[in-house]
Amino acid sequence: MSAHFLNVIWVALMVATILTWFIGKSVTMDVSLVVAVLLISAVKGWLIIYDFMALRRVKVLWRALVLGWLLLTLAVILLAYWLGLK
Amino acid sequence: MTTHALAPSPHESHAKGHKHHEYPPGDLAIWVFILAELSAFFVLFAAYAFTRLKHLDLFNDMQRTLDADAGMLNTLLLITGSWCVARAIAAIKRNHSRQSAHWLMAGILTGVGFLIVKFFEYGAKFDAGINLETNLFYTFYLALTMFHAMHVVLGMAILLIIWKKTMAGGYSAQDHHGMETGASYWHMVDLVWIILFPLVYVMR
Repeated sequence: MSAHFLNVIWVALMVATILTWFIGKSVTMDVSLVVAVLLISAVKGWLIIYDFMALRRVKVLWRALVLGWLLLTLAVILLAYWLGLK
Repeated sequence: MTTHALAPSPHESHAKGHKHHEYPPGDLAIWVFILAELSAFFVLFAAYAFTRLKHLDLFNDMQRTLDADAGMLNTLLLITGSWCVARAIAAIKRNHSRQSAHWLMAGILTGVGFLIVKFFEYGAKFDAGINLETNLFYTFYLALTMFHAMHVVLGMAILLIIWKKTMAGGYSAQDHHGMETGASYWHMVDLVWIILFPLVYVMR
Protein backbone atom coordinates (compact mmCIF):
# COMPACT_ATOMS: atom_id res chain seq x y z
CA MET A 1 0.00 0.00 0.00
CA SER A 2 1.61 3.27 -1.05
CA ALA A 3 1.98 6.07 1.47
CA HIS A 4 0.12 8.44 -0.86
CA PHE A 5 -2.85 6.07 -1.10
CA LEU A 6 -2.98 5.73 2.70
CA ASN A 7 -2.96 9.52 3.01
CA VAL A 8 -5.93 9.78 0.63
CA ILE A 9 -7.87 7.20 2.66
CA TRP A 10 -7.05 9.09 5.88
CA VAL A 11 -8.33 12.40 4.47
CA ALA A 12 -11.51 10.70 3.20
CA LEU A 13 -12.15 9.20 6.65
CA MET A 14 -11.58 12.56 8.37
CA VAL A 15 -13.99 14.33 6.00
CA ALA A 16 -16.62 11.59 6.45
CA THR A 17 -16.32 11.91 10.24
CA ILE A 18 -16.84 15.67 10.15
CA LEU A 19 -19.84 15.14 7.85
CA THR A 20 -21.36 12.65 10.33
CA TRP A 21 -20.81 15.10 13.19
CA PHE A 22 -22.39 17.90 11.14
CA ILE A 23 -25.48 15.76 10.42
CA GLY A 24 -25.74 15.13 14.16
CA LYS A 25 -26.08 18.88 14.68
CA SER A 26 -29.48 18.75 12.95
CA VAL A 27 -32.30 19.56 15.32
CA THR A 28 -34.54 16.89 13.81
CA MET A 29 -33.10 13.71 12.43
CA ASP A 30 -35.46 11.96 10.03
CA VAL A 31 -35.05 8.55 8.45
CA SER A 32 -33.06 9.90 5.49
CA LEU A 33 -30.43 11.36 7.84
CA VAL A 34 -30.25 8.13 9.84
CA VAL A 35 -29.71 6.19 6.60
CA ALA A 36 -27.10 8.77 5.48
CA VAL A 37 -25.18 8.38 8.76
CA LEU A 38 -25.25 4.57 8.49
CA LEU A 39 -24.12 4.68 4.84
CA ILE A 40 -21.22 6.97 5.74
CA SER A 41 -20.30 4.56 8.56
CA ALA A 42 -20.43 1.65 6.10
CA VAL A 43 -18.05 3.42 3.71
CA LYS A 44 -15.70 4.37 6.56
CA GLY A 45 -15.68 0.82 7.92
CA TRP A 46 -15.13 -0.55 4.42
CA LEU A 47 -12.09 1.69 3.89
CA ILE A 48 -10.61 0.73 7.27
CA ILE A 49 -11.11 -3.00 6.60
CA TYR A 50 -9.76 -2.88 3.04
CA ASP A 51 -6.92 -0.41 3.33
CA PHE A 52 -5.84 -0.01 6.97
CA MET A 53 -6.46 -3.63 8.03
CA ALA A 54 -5.10 -4.55 4.57
CA LEU A 55 -7.74 -7.17 3.80
CA ARG A 56 -8.14 -5.94 0.20
CA ARG A 57 -5.79 -8.60 -1.12
CA VAL A 58 -6.71 -11.39 1.28
CA LYS A 59 -8.83 -14.40 0.42
CA VAL A 60 -12.52 -13.58 0.29
CA LEU A 61 -13.44 -15.61 3.42
CA TRP A 62 -11.50 -13.26 5.70
CA ARG A 63 -12.85 -10.15 4.04
CA ALA A 64 -16.36 -11.58 4.20
CA LEU A 65 -16.08 -12.27 7.94
CA VAL A 66 -15.07 -8.72 8.85
CA LEU A 67 -17.19 -6.95 6.22
CA GLY A 68 -20.08 -9.23 7.21
CA TRP A 69 -19.72 -8.05 10.81
CA LEU A 70 -19.80 -4.42 9.66
CA LEU A 71 -22.84 -4.81 7.41
CA LEU A 72 -24.77 -7.01 9.86
CA THR A 73 -24.15 -4.58 12.72
CA LEU A 74 -25.29 -1.60 10.65
CA ALA A 75 -28.33 -3.54 9.37
CA VAL A 76 -29.43 -4.44 12.91
CA ILE A 77 -29.02 -0.82 14.01
CA LEU A 78 -31.02 0.35 10.97
CA LEU A 79 -33.78 -2.16 11.76
CA ALA A 80 -34.01 -0.96 15.36
CA TYR A 81 -34.18 2.70 14.28
CA TRP A 82 -36.74 1.92 11.57
CA LEU A 83 -38.94 0.12 14.11
CA GLY A 84 -38.64 3.18 16.34
CA LEU A 85 -40.02 5.41 13.61
CA LYS A 86 -43.17 3.33 13.19
CA MET B 1 1.25 -14.57 20.89
CA THR B 2 2.88 -16.79 18.32
CA THR B 3 1.16 -19.53 16.43
CA HIS B 4 3.67 -20.29 13.81
CA ALA B 5 2.12 -23.71 13.44
CA LEU B 6 -1.02 -21.94 12.34
CA ALA B 7 0.71 -19.10 10.56
CA PRO B 8 0.89 -19.26 6.85
CA SER B 9 3.69 -20.29 4.77
CA PRO B 10 2.89 -17.53 2.36
CA HIS B 11 0.30 -19.32 0.26
CA GLU B 12 -0.85 -16.96 -2.37
CA SER B 13 -3.30 -17.23 -5.18
CA HIS B 14 -3.56 -15.08 -8.24
CA ALA B 15 -6.86 -13.71 -9.45
CA LYS B 16 -7.41 -10.99 -11.99
CA GLY B 17 -3.67 -10.35 -12.03
CA HIS B 18 -3.55 -9.41 -8.32
CA LYS B 19 -1.66 -11.31 -5.68
CA HIS B 20 -4.10 -12.61 -3.06
CA HIS B 21 -2.85 -13.79 0.34
CA GLU B 22 -4.26 -16.87 1.97
CA TYR B 23 -4.35 -15.30 5.45
CA PRO B 24 -4.83 -11.77 6.82
CA PRO B 25 -1.80 -9.75 8.00
CA GLY B 26 -0.26 -10.76 11.32
CA ASP B 27 -0.73 -13.78 13.50
CA LEU B 28 -3.79 -15.93 12.83
CA ALA B 29 -4.52 -16.04 16.58
CA ILE B 30 -5.05 -12.26 16.71
CA TRP B 31 -7.71 -12.60 14.01
CA VAL B 32 -9.58 -15.19 16.08
CA PHE B 33 -9.36 -12.73 18.98
CA ILE B 34 -10.48 -9.82 16.76
CA LEU B 35 -13.52 -11.78 15.54
CA ALA B 36 -14.42 -12.64 19.16
CA GLU B 37 -14.11 -8.96 20.15
CA LEU B 38 -16.22 -7.86 17.18
CA SER B 39 -18.89 -10.39 18.18
CA ALA B 40 -18.98 -8.97 21.72
CA PHE B 41 -19.37 -5.42 20.40
CA PHE B 42 -22.10 -6.59 17.99
CA VAL B 43 -24.13 -7.86 20.97
CA LEU B 44 -23.60 -4.59 22.87
CA PHE B 45 -24.56 -2.43 19.87
CA ALA B 46 -27.68 -4.50 19.19
CA ALA B 47 -28.61 -4.37 22.89
CA TYR B 48 -28.25 -0.56 22.84
CA ALA B 49 -30.32 -0.17 19.65
CA PHE B 50 -33.18 -2.41 20.81
CA THR B 51 -33.22 -1.09 24.39
CA ARG B 52 -33.48 2.40 22.90
CA LEU B 53 -36.60 1.22 21.05
CA LYS B 54 -38.39 0.75 24.37
CA HIS B 55 -37.16 4.06 25.81
CA LEU B 56 -37.09 6.37 22.79
CA ASP B 57 -37.75 9.66 24.60
CA LEU B 58 -35.21 8.92 27.34
CA PHE B 59 -32.47 7.95 24.86
CA ASN B 60 -33.18 10.91 22.54
CA ASP B 61 -33.23 13.42 25.42
CA MET B 62 -30.16 12.01 27.15
CA GLN B 63 -28.17 11.82 23.92
CA ARG B 64 -28.49 15.60 23.62
CA THR B 65 -26.62 15.90 26.93
CA LEU B 66 -23.54 14.17 25.46
CA ASP B 67 -20.58 16.14 24.15
CA ALA B 68 -20.76 15.25 20.44
CA ASP B 69 -17.75 17.51 19.75
CA ALA B 70 -15.64 15.32 22.05
CA GLY B 71 -17.00 12.23 20.29
CA MET B 72 -16.05 13.68 16.92
CA LEU B 73 -12.59 14.70 18.13
CA ASN B 74 -12.00 11.18 19.44
CA THR B 75 -13.11 9.70 16.12
CA LEU B 76 -10.59 11.91 14.32
CA LEU B 77 -7.89 10.82 16.80
CA LEU B 78 -8.56 7.09 16.36
CA ILE B 79 -8.70 7.36 12.56
CA THR B 80 -5.42 9.27 12.64
CA GLY B 81 -3.96 6.61 14.95
CA SER B 82 -4.98 3.89 12.53
CA TRP B 83 -3.46 5.82 9.62
CA CYS B 84 -0.19 6.29 11.57
CA VAL B 85 0.08 2.54 12.18
CA ALA B 86 -0.74 1.77 8.52
CA ARG B 87 2.10 4.16 7.60
CA ALA B 88 4.39 2.36 10.07
CA ILE B 89 3.71 -0.92 8.25
CA ALA B 90 4.31 0.76 4.88
CA ALA B 91 7.63 2.15 6.21
CA ILE B 92 8.90 -1.16 7.60
CA LYS B 93 8.09 -2.83 4.27
CA ARG B 94 10.69 -0.45 2.80
CA ASN B 95 13.11 -1.29 5.64
CA HIS B 96 12.76 2.21 7.14
CA SER B 97 12.89 1.13 10.79
CA ARG B 98 13.38 4.55 12.32
CA GLN B 99 10.54 6.08 10.27
CA SER B 100 8.32 3.13 11.16
CA ALA B 101 9.03 3.67 14.87
CA HIS B 102 8.10 7.35 14.57
CA TRP B 103 4.77 6.46 12.98
CA LEU B 104 4.11 3.92 15.74
CA MET B 105 4.83 6.52 18.41
CA ALA B 106 2.49 8.95 16.64
CA GLY B 107 -0.18 6.23 16.78
CA ILE B 108 0.40 5.77 20.51
CA LEU B 109 0.10 9.53 21.05
CA THR B 110 -3.29 9.59 19.31
CA GLY B 111 -4.35 6.97 21.87
CA VAL B 112 -3.10 9.24 24.66
CA GLY B 113 -5.09 12.09 23.09
CA PHE B 114 -8.19 9.87 22.97
CA LEU B 115 -7.88 9.05 26.67
CA ILE B 116 -7.33 12.70 27.61
CA VAL B 117 -10.54 13.71 25.76
CA LYS B 118 -12.37 10.83 27.47
CA PHE B 119 -10.99 11.91 30.86
CA PHE B 120 -12.48 15.39 30.47
CA GLU B 121 -15.71 14.02 28.98
CA TYR B 122 -16.22 11.60 31.88
CA GLY B 123 -15.10 14.26 34.36
CA ALA B 124 -17.86 16.62 33.22
CA LYS B 125 -20.45 13.86 33.58
CA PHE B 126 -19.23 12.70 36.99
CA ASP B 127 -19.14 16.33 38.22
CA ALA B 128 -22.79 16.59 37.15
CA GLY B 129 -23.54 13.60 39.38
CA ILE B 130 -23.99 11.18 36.49
CA ASN B 131 -22.98 7.57 36.99
CA LEU B 132 -23.85 4.06 35.78
CA GLU B 133 -27.11 4.10 37.75
CA THR B 134 -28.39 7.50 36.59
CA ASN B 135 -30.62 5.97 33.93
CA LEU B 136 -30.60 3.26 31.26
CA PHE B 137 -29.06 5.51 28.61
CA TYR B 138 -26.10 6.43 30.82
CA THR B 139 -25.66 2.80 31.84
CA PHE B 140 -25.17 1.97 28.16
CA TYR B 141 -23.12 5.08 27.39
CA LEU B 142 -20.66 4.52 30.24
CA ALA B 143 -20.47 0.73 29.85
CA LEU B 144 -19.97 0.86 26.06
CA THR B 145 -17.43 3.69 26.03
CA MET B 146 -15.48 2.39 29.06
CA PHE B 147 -15.34 -1.11 27.55
CA HIS B 148 -14.03 0.44 24.33
CA ALA B 149 -11.54 2.63 26.22
CA MET B 150 -10.09 -0.51 27.84
CA HIS B 151 -9.40 -1.78 24.32
CA VAL B 152 -7.67 1.51 23.47
CA VAL B 153 -5.41 1.05 26.52
CA LEU B 154 -4.59 -2.54 25.52
CA GLY B 155 -3.93 -1.41 21.94
CA MET B 156 -1.55 1.29 23.18
CA ALA B 157 0.30 -1.25 25.34
CA ILE B 158 0.73 -3.55 22.33
CA LEU B 159 1.93 -0.65 20.15
CA LEU B 160 4.41 0.38 22.85
CA ILE B 161 5.95 -3.12 22.87
CA ILE B 162 6.13 -3.09 19.07
CA TRP B 163 7.64 0.41 19.10
CA LYS B 164 10.41 -0.71 21.47
CA LYS B 165 11.23 -3.68 19.25
CA THR B 166 11.16 -1.47 16.15
CA MET B 167 13.53 1.02 17.80
CA ALA B 168 15.88 -1.90 18.53
CA GLY B 169 15.79 -2.89 14.86
CA GLY B 170 13.71 -5.98 15.55
CA TYR B 171 11.60 -5.72 12.40
CA SER B 172 12.54 -5.60 8.75
CA ALA B 173 10.95 -5.71 5.32
CA GLN B 174 11.30 -9.49 5.44
CA ASP B 175 10.14 -9.97 9.04
CA HIS B 176 7.40 -7.72 10.42
CA HIS B 177 4.79 -10.34 11.27
CA GLY B 178 4.61 -9.16 14.90
CA MET B 179 4.09 -5.54 13.87
CA GLU B 180 1.23 -6.57 11.59
CA THR B 181 -0.33 -8.53 14.47
CA GLY B 182 -0.42 -5.48 16.74
CA ALA B 183 -1.52 -3.21 13.90
CA SER B 184 -4.50 -5.45 13.14
CA TYR B 185 -5.69 -5.18 16.75
CA TRP B 186 -5.28 -1.39 16.74
CA HIS B 187 -7.34 -1.09 13.53
CA MET B 188 -10.07 -3.20 15.16
CA VAL B 189 -10.28 -0.66 18.01
CA ASP B 190 -10.75 2.07 15.38
CA LEU B 191 -13.33 0.04 13.43
CA VAL B 192 -15.51 -0.48 16.51
CA TRP B 193 -15.48 3.26 17.30
CA ILE B 194 -16.56 3.98 13.70
CA ILE B 195 -19.92 2.45 14.67
CA LEU B 196 -19.99 3.50 18.32
CA PHE B 197 -19.66 7.22 17.52
CA PRO B 198 -22.73 7.58 15.26
CA LEU B 199 -24.77 5.11 17.31
CA VAL B 200 -24.28 6.75 20.70
CA TYR B 201 -23.47 10.38 19.85
CA VAL B 202 -25.23 11.15 16.57
CA MET B 203 -28.30 9.06 15.68
CA ARG B 204 -31.61 9.83 17.37
